[in-house]
Amino acid sequence: MSILSNKSEKIFIYLFFAIGLFIPLFLEGNTFFINKFSTIIILAIFVMSLDYLVGRTGLITLGHAMFYGLGGYIFTILAPEYEAVNFWVYTFYVMLISGFIALIVGLIVLRTSGIYMIMITLALAQMSFYFFADSIEYGGQDGLFVYIKPETSIFGLNFLDLENETHFYYLCLLSLFNCFVFFKIIMNSSFGRVIDALKENPDRATALGYNIFHFRLIAYVLASSLAAYAGYLFALQFGFVNPSMMSWDVSATALVMALLGGLGTIYGAIIGSFVYEGLHYFIEHLTEYWMFFMGALIIALVLTLKNGMAGFLNTLSGGKRS
Amino acid sequence: MSQTILEAENLCKFWGGLKALNELNIQFKDKQLHSIVGPNGAGKSTLLNTLCGAYPATSGVILYHGKPITHLKGYEFCREGIGRSFQKTNIFHNATCLENCCIAAQQRIGGNFNLFRKRSKNRQITEIARKALQQVGLTARADTRATEVSYGEQRQLEIAMVLATSPKVLLLDEPMAGMGHEESQTIISLLKELKQQYCIVLVEHDMDAVFELSDLMTVMVDGQHLITDTVDNIRNNPLVQDAYLGNDDEVF
Amino acid sequence: MDTSLFLVQLLNGVQYGLLLFLIASGLTLVFGVMGILNLAHGSMYMIGAYLAYYFTTLTDSFLLAFIISGSIALVIGIIIERFLIIHLYKRDHLDQVLLTVGLIFIFNATQSFVWGNDPLGIEVPELLSGSIRLTDIVEYPVYRLFISLLCLLVAATMYFTINKTRLGMMIRAGESDRAMVENLGVDISKLFTIVFAIGVFLASLAGIVSVPIVSLVPGMGEHVLISCFVVVVIGGLGSIKGAFVAALIVGIADTYASVLLPQISSMSIYLLMALILLVKPQGLFKN
Repeated sequence: MSILSNKSEKIFIYLFFAIGLFIPLFLEGNTFFINKFSTIIILAIFVMSLDYLVGRTGLITLGHAMFYGLGGYIFTILAPEYEAVNFWVYTFYVMLISGFIALIVGLIVLRTSGIYMIMITLALAQMSFYFFADSIEYGGQDGLFVYIKPETSIFGLNFLDLENETHFYYLCLLSLFNCFVFFKIIMNSSFGRVIDALKENPDRATALGYNIFHFRLIAYVLASSLAAYAGYLFALQFGFVNPSMMSWDVSATALVMALLGGLGTIYGAIIGSFVYEGLHYFIEHLTEYWMFFMGALIIALVLTLKNGMAGFLNTLSGGKRS
Repeated sequence: MSQTILEAENLCKFWGGLKALNELNIQFKDKQLHSIVGPNGAGKSTLLNTLCGAYPATSGVILYHGKPITHLKGYEFCREGIGRSFQKTNIFHNATCLENCCIAAQQRIGGNFNLFRKRSKNRQITEIARKALQQVGLTARADTRATEVSYGEQRQLEIAMVLATSPKVLLLDEPMAGMGHEESQTIISLLKELKQQYCIVLVEHDMDAVFELSDLMTVMVDGQHLITDTVDNIRNNPLVQDAYLGNDDEVF
Repeated sequence: MDTSLFLVQLLNGVQYGLLLFLIASGLTLVFGVMGILNLAHGSMYMIGAYLAYYFTTLTDSFLLAFIISGSIALVIGIIIERFLIIHLYKRDHLDQVLLTVGLIFIFNATQSFVWGNDPLGIEVPELLSGSIRLTDIVEYPVYRLFISLLCLLVAATMYFTINKTRLGMMIRAGESDRAMVENLGVDISKLFTIVFAIGVFLASLAGIVSVPIVSLVPGMGEHVLISCFVVVVIGGLGSIKGAFVAALIVGIADTYASVLLPQISSMSIYLLMALILLVKPQGLFKN
C-alpha cells in the first residue's frame, strides 16, 4: 500500500489489523473483552478525527466531543423508537447532519485562531452539553435510549447482526480501517498539500493565493462528521446517549490520546487510544483515584515525549525523527 | 515602449497617524525592472505589501492592466498574477524544494479541493514546479528538504515559489538580504534573465545591484514619491542627492 | 417580575458578575503577561473553596480559614509556575492545553481523595449573616453584598497596582513588549512567577469567598472555568477592563435568563458569546 508513509507505520498497521481480524477467534465467548475492544476502536476513530484537525490541520479544538455526542443524538432522535432502521442509511444521515452543523459552527469558530479558538470551541461544546442536559424532550441528564438496533442489509445482503458482539466488533474494525484509509488518502491528495502548507505557514499559503478559511472549514467538517460517526457507533454499542458524551473531559482526553500516539500521524490515534485505555483499565484496578496518575502521566508526556508513541516506534525502527 | 501593467493612483496607507504611504502615484511597465529605493522607513516595504494585497490600502486605487483591484482580498492578488517574495525567508521548511514550488503552482492549476486524487499524480503541477526550480538553478535540490538547503538557496527557492504561481508581476522584497557577494551575483544574473519576461518591482538595499539591474528607479522619502527616472539620471539628480545622498554611508 | 424582585436579581447578577471578574481577571492577566492559557485556573477556584471549607471546620473561624487558604494558594501558584509552567514559555498552545489538563486531573483526583464526592458547605459567618431590608418586603443577604464589595475592592486594587506602581508598569510592559521588559533590566522570570501567583490567588480568592453561598461539588472548577472563558472571549483576551465589563454582562445576563428564560438558562451566556463573536470576533475590548 503506497499510502503508508514509513516503516513503523507499515509494520504497525499490518500487525494491528491482522491481530484485530483474528482476535475474536481466540476470545471465543469472552464478550467482555470483545466489547472492550469495540469501545476502544470507536474511541480510536474519534481520536483519529481529532488528530487530523489538531495534528494535520493545526486547528486546536477542545470541543470535538460536541460532535461525538451529536452523532449519537442525531441517530437516537431521528430513528423511530421501536423499529429497526437501516444502519447504512442512518450512517449517511448522521454524517450529513453533523457535517452541516459543523459547517455552521465552523463559520463561527474558524474566524478565530489559537487560544481564542480553544476557548470558543470549549464554550460551544459546553453550550450543546447544556442544550441536551436541560431539554426534557431529549431526556435531560439521563439522555435517550436506543431500544432497537439497526439492521445492516445492503442490496438485500445481510451479513452483520449488530446484536451480536463479535459482529459489532467487526463493524467497528472495518470502520476504523476505512477511516484510516480515508485520512491517508486525503493527506496525500492535492487538498492535503494545501492543508500541509497552511498548517506550517498560513501566511505564506495566503500569499500564494489560497483562501485558507475554505480549506480549514472543509477539514473541520470532515473531521467533525467522522467524530459524529464514532458517536453513532457508541450509541449503538451502549444503547444510550447522554450529555456527558459532550463534556469537556472527553475532548481533553482524546487530545491526550492523540498526543500519546503521536500528533499528526493518524495511525498514532490507534496506539494512543489503546495505550491510554489500557493504562486507564490497569490503574483503575489499583486505585479509585486513577486520574491523579493519568494527570501526572500527561504532564510527564508533555515535558518529555514530544513525538508520541509513533515517534518512539519510528525511532526504534530506525526512521528519522521529524 | 512597453505597456503599463501595474499602477498606483494616490495610494495611501496610514497606520494610525503615521503616513507610511502618502498619495503615491507610480507605474510599473512590463518587462522592466523597476527598483524602489529610499532611506529606512521611507515606506518601501509598505508599498510592496499594499501592492500585493497583504495590507489593505487606506485610500487610493491600485490598477492592474488598467482595472482597479484595490477591493480584492489579499489572497486574490496572487491569483491575478501579482506574486511577491519576502524579505524574511518565508518557505515551507518541512517540505522539499520541489514540494514548495508545487504548493505555489497548484493554486493556479487547480485541484485544490480534490480530496482523493494523489497529489503526485498531477504532472502539470510538478512540471511547472520543476521549471520554476530550473529557472532559479535549484534543480539539483528538488528533493532536498527546504530546511536543509543553504540560506542562499532558500532565497532562490523563495523566488522560485513566486515564479511557480505563474505571475505577470514580481514584487521582490530584498531578495539579496543577508547574502554574501557570490550568492548575490547568482541572484543578479537570475534577475537579469527574469526581467526579460516579467514586470519586476524590486526593493533592495544593495545599491550596486540596484544600479546594475534597474531600468527605472523610484526614490521614496517619508512615504512620498520623490522621483522616478532612469538609473543614470537618478545618479546625477541633485534633488536625490539633496534628499539623502548627503549622508550616503547610511541611506542606501 | 415586579420592581423589588428585579432589584434583587440585579444585585445577584452584579455579585455573580463581580465574582466571575475576580476569576477571569486572573486568567486574562496570566495570558496577557505570560502568554499562557491556564486551563487549571478553575481548579484553583475549586481548591480555594475546599481549603476554606476545611480550615473553617478545623479552626471554626472563617477569617482564619480565609488567610490560611489564600496563603496556601499563593504557594501552590509559585510551585506550579516554578516547576511546570516554566517549561511552557517556548512551547505552543497545544502543550499549554495538555499540561494544564494534566493539572486539572491531578487537582480533581486530590479533591476527591481528600474530601470525597458528596456536596459540602459551611454556614455564612455570623458577623455577616444578617440581611438588609431593601423595600418593605424584600431583604438582601449581607454576605452577598460583602462579596460584591470585596470584589470591587480587589478590582480597585488591581487598577491601582497596574496603573500606579512599579509592578504594574512591568506588567503593562510585559503585555505590550516582552523584549522591552528584559531590556529594562527586569527579572522576567521573577515577574512571571509573581504574575502567575497573583492569577492563582485571584481564582482561589473567589473560591474562598464563595464557600458560604455555594455547595462544594466535584467539577465546580471546570464549570467556573468555562464561564470565565465566555467572559474573556467577550471581553477580549488579555484585557482586564474588558474582563470587568464582560463579567458584569455575563453575570447579569445569566441571572436574568434563569428567571425569565428558564428553558435555556444554562445556554444563555454561550448564546450571548456566539452572537458577540459574530459581530466582533476579537471580543469587545481587543486592543
